[in-house]
Amino acid sequence: MSAMDPTEVFRQEASELFEVLEGALLDLGQRPDDRELVDSAFRALHTIKGSGAMFGFDKVASFTHEFETAFDRVRKGEIKPTQELISVALAAKDYIRALIEDPQSTDDIIGEGILDDLKRFVFSDPPAAPVVEIAVAPPLAPAESKQAGWHLYLEFESHILRNGSNPLDLLEDLCKLGPCFVVPVTDGIPFLDEMEPEDCYLKWDVKLHAACDKDAIDDVFMFVSDEMKLTLSPLEQVEAPAPMPLFQLLDEEPAPVAEMAAPVVEVAAAPVAVQPAAKPEPKSESRPEPKAEAKRDDRGIATVRVQAERLDELMDRVGELVIAQARLTQLAASGSDLSIKMIAEEIERLASSLRDTTMGARMVPIGSLFGRFRRLIHDLSRDLSKPVDFVTTGEDTELDKTMIECLADPLVHLIRNAIDHGIEDTATRSANGKTEQGRIELAAVHSGAQVLVTVKDNGGGLNTARIRAKAEEQGLIAAGAVLTDHEIHQFLFHPGFSTAQTISALSGRGVGMDVVKRTIENMRGTIDLSTKPGQGTTVTLRLPLTLAIIEGLLIRVGEGRYIIPLSAVEECIELTAEDERSRGRNFLNVRGNLVPFLRLREIMTATGAPDRHQKTIIISTGETHVGLVADQIIGNHQTVIKSLSKLHSDVTIFSGATILGDGTAALILDVAQLVALAQSKVEKQHISEAA
Amino acid sequence: MNDGLTSEHQADAMQVVMIGLGEEKFALDAGLVREIIDPVPVTKVAGARAFVPSVINVRGNVIPLADLRIRFGMPQLDDSADTRIVVIEIELDGEPVLVGVTADKVYEVTEISQTDVQQTPRVGMHWKPEFIRFIAKWREEFVIVPNMERILN
Repeated sequence: MSAMDPTEVFRQEASELFEVLEGALLDLGQRPDDRELVDSAFRALHTIKGSGAMFGFDKVASFTHEFETAFDRVRKGEIKPTQELISVALAAKDYIRALIEDPQSTDDIIGEGILDDLKRFVFSDPPAAPVVEIAVAPPLAPAESKQAGWHLYLEFESHILRNGSNPLDLLEDLCKLGPCFVVPVTDGIPFLDEMEPEDCYLKWDVKLHAACDKDAIDDVFMFVSDEMKLTLSPLEQVEAPAPMPLFQLLDEEPAPVAEMAAPVVEVAAAPVAVQPAAKPEPKSESRPEPKAEAKRDDRGIATVRVQAERLDELMDRVGELVIAQARLTQLAASGSDLSIKMIAEEIERLASSLRDTTMGARMVPIGSLFGRFRRLIHDLSRDLSKPVDFVTTGEDTELDKTMIECLADPLVHLIRNAIDHGIEDTATRSANGKTEQGRIELAAVHSGAQVLVTVKDNGGGLNTARIRAKAEEQGLIAAGAVLTDHEIHQFLFHPGFSTAQTISALSGRGVGMDVVKRTIENMRGTIDLSTKPGQGTTVTLRLPLTLAIIEGLLIRVGEGRYIIPLSAVEECIELTAEDERSRGRNFLNVRGNLVPFLRLREIMTATGAPDRHQKTIIISTGETHVGLVADQIIGNHQTVIKSLSKLHSDVTIFSGATILGDGTAALILDVAQLVALAQSKVEKQHISEAA
Repeated sequence: MNDGLTSEHQADAMQVVMIGLGEEKFALDAGLVREIIDPVPVTKVAGARAFVPSVINVRGNVIPLADLRIRFGMPQLDDSADTRIVVIEIELDGEPVLVGVTADKVYEVTEISQTDVQQTPRVGMHWKPEFIRFIAKWREEFVIVPNMERILN
């Protein structure tokens, strides 16, 4: 981490905060009364401001400050977060993001415009309560200079010393801001026998006689803000700079704060901003909920930010370990030394749990991805004036992080299509007796070793006739050819196929669908369309959990060994003499079902005599079952997937390769391709039989 | 690493690894060569193009094993004590790709100087001219400097 560019750290952190902020803002549009959401948006804003200033993003800090100031009124419950306000707030968020990511591309004028809008919404309605001072004035108002200073009450967490922070240094820094009168509060000190020598029991009561900005004080405690409680209240001019009697502070602690004539704003764990010009306000309202605070602490302890490349490296090492372990197991099995066998088993167990842990570390809940689409839908539904209810389920479903990244673009396509072409306009909807508001569901669910991601809309469904007409027009099918609806829908995945009659900014359904399909297939996933006229379309993506390691079934064909992904294996049966005899038909009778089978010896052009008892492995994709005939089933194999090089990209029946225990490479069969191959053979057979 | 024109212009001398295929000698640009290893068990890839019939495991990476003898229409010999696999890195579609090349013998790493370079004669060659970058003279022998990118594409 230390080698990382601090600016980059800030960018990363900020992008996470933007997600939080955006999510909170969008939720707020639906649940305007949820205080928790307002607070979380506010916390995100405040942290962006703080870190922005720390890393020298001054523009970010000052803009965010203004944004925060305006939004503060929402937080105080003085105005309701309306849809308009949310939209402006989102624009403001985008502007901050632009300031951070690409400062050249933005202009101050844009920022000023947004701020004007923001202020218009925020300050348009007259303040209801006796809030007078709230200051439409810029936050760094001269009002501040009138005040004589600040009263601070510092309470550190007991473990602060162990982290290497020294409260005395902080106090010294504070003294640099102006003359300070510091009184330690000793009532937290326990009896000697209960005292932990490394804990901090002291609290401090500080009067700072300097007309400094509140931010300046926050800056002093920036690095420990999560581990302390800082209570700030302005000192009033009238109050004499003379120190308060010591006994009073000691006796009435923590009351002195309340006793001060000045209003109190409590700042706990930093990210709640304080209006510099203070205003009377009930204490309870501004106090951040302890629950939220506790949550923050938990998160701080439970997560460590790790560079993605390091995880990838770890995964590679684990992959190599698994391969080495497989070799050890093989070696141990061939010998007779019992103790070596025991060690080999132990290492096998450890390697497999290490593999699972490492994979787990790479797993990310898909919710982080779903969050991005809420904004997309929000904007699209506004631009197209199609009100859409966006529902997501299964956000907790975990997927390998590289998969999540690869999924983003295809899902954007699918969702755009759903809202642009799936959902009808309001008039059509009400004419068809549907609710005016369309509905798009994005769902993720585990299904065995796969994850199903579905995008479902309740729009008009696919226009099969139009797709067919277009396919005929483009010469993809002969006019009058007999095709099932399902087959016709497959033309949507054809490059450059679009039935859109007008070209909109969002393009027609079909454009880019080939890209979607390719991306999904590159992830060893499949894509499936189903539609009901008038009721909507569902696109289902089936994806493997990870790209790195799979459970495989190791088989032997002739002299070659191959891996079949275990997730696709249904069962293994012996090829009976009867099946063997029916050479021409290539069908198996599996409990009354006819299953076509492929002889792998033929496909792999294996040499040598076949084994006497051929085995059949029944594999499936979706509903289709196909048997693969092999010489021998060797057993389970932890398969670390290595991709085949470009030189073998023309070979479709293998999806990759792996390294076996003895160091040789073995190829992984591509189940989908083999099934397609079997089906085409069956069709050929039908044709030849019909002829 | 790139198709050699640059190195032809840059340096008078060119570092090459001299390998033998059948009766012929070929000079591989030393800049392409990553390592030279003893033969390892190969895994046949059904359905692959004839000149890249198999894959091998090189330090945990599965890489294709190319057979130039097939590309040049030469007879294949059985592995002998001299057989080696030369691992080279070439660029295919802008991406670096590791490829193993079977050599019946690896002679040495040497320099061929630019002055020895001969243009590929149009006639009298039984190899496709596009597979050959140029022909150089080395110790009174003609050696072929193959264009690996072309051969493997």
